[in-house]
Amino acid sequence: MKTDDLIRVLAEDPVRPMAPRTVLVLGLVPSLAIIAFAVWLVLGFRPDLAISMTTPVSVARILLAGTLGLVATRLALTLARPEGSGKVRLWPLAVVAAAALGLLLWAYVTTPAEARQMAMFGKTFVFCLVVIPLLSILPVSSMFAVLRRGATTAPARAGFVAGLAGSGFATAVYALYCTQDNPLFYVTWFGLAILGVSLFSAMIAPRVLHW
Amino acid sequence: MTGQTDGWGQLLAAANAGDARAYARFLQAITPILRGVVRAKGGGLGAAACEDVLQEVLLAVHLKRHTWAPDAPVRPWLYAITRYKVVDAFRARGRKVDLPIEDFADVLAADAGPDPTEAADMEKMIGMLDGRSAEIVRKIGLEGVGVAETGRALAMSEGAVRVALHRALKTLAVLRERHVK
Repeated sequence: MKTDDLIRVLAEDPVRPMAPRTVLVLGLVPSLAIIAFAVWLVLGFRPDLAISMTTPVSVARILLAGTLGLVATRLALTLARPEGSGKVRLWPLAVVAAAALGLLLWAYVTTPAEARQMAMFGKTFVFCLVVIPLLSILPVSSMFAVLRRGATTAPARAGFVAGLAGSGFATAVYALYCTQDNPLFYVTWFGLAILGVSLFSAMIAPRVLHW
Repeated sequence: MTGQTDGWGQLLAAANAGDARAYARFLQAITPILRGVVRAKGGGLGAAACEDVLQEVLLAVHLKRHTWAPDAPVRPWLYAITRYKVVDAFRARGRKVDLPIEDFADVLAADAGPDPTEAADMEKMIGMLDGRSAEIVRKIGLEGVGVAETGRALAMSEGAVRVALHRALKTLAVLRERHVK
């Protein structure tokens, strides 16, 4: 087939796939609703949810994780575009990370030395390391669906921010259940869970996002 | 951003809004430039193989045209797709090529020549489509008939032809991916 013939065929195909942004809204919002419902149904929200929402150190968990989700989602949308790999700036992620580490440091200083170990390990850190990745599956998958509609030329980076976005949101949802309000606990374990999910996403991304 | 003197932005915007003629003109306008890039990188492969790679790039541009944001300049977008696909296509043919990160800097536009090369791969891939899809693609491409007429000839509704055509093009992209390697 000659190239001119191919052009004729392409020009006759006006079907335009949905823009990545549309896919994002259609995928991410329902998947977050589903995992929130699942947490409520299976684990139950923390009984003192209303009070915790007025406790800054507790609200900070949701704010940090949610902000990470939003920032990473923006970056993923940029990376979904072919020319995005040259334009994307990853420093907003560093700001979120610095805020989390600052909080960790503050908690380290203000927690009495003998209480630190208990505060850091709590009783539930293994549970948290298992449940956050599980809750991340749906939102991370919907981020990947967005990237597949797009045309990323930096798959590993795109996969990493997709992982950050999905697991960031999942962690914000998980925080509705989890009663651990000490940053020594949540920055450490939430952070490790998010990092694990994101590194895994970055690893599989080159295969999944190839086009 | 300085204005785009070549008008690609207007053509692509019109195309994405559903203007098939503007879209054909856009594809015709970018083809010599893309061919220039491909030949500059893979001249040693021969004209027919270069045309294969070019068609692969065009198909990718087609299937990813919704990723262009109307407020963004066309060239960096198009170049990013071209770069990704050219590197990929040559890798699949056992060749490593490097494309500079910059834009289409010193590309010499290349015409197909007086006797446009028949690219072989696409024909092979069309042969792997199911019979009806292959017929639709061939009718439109080789006979130059529109979707409506193709529908009449095959006793299909215009909408059904459009859907089948779009599916066929997506399948072609996947088939090329799989079979060139």
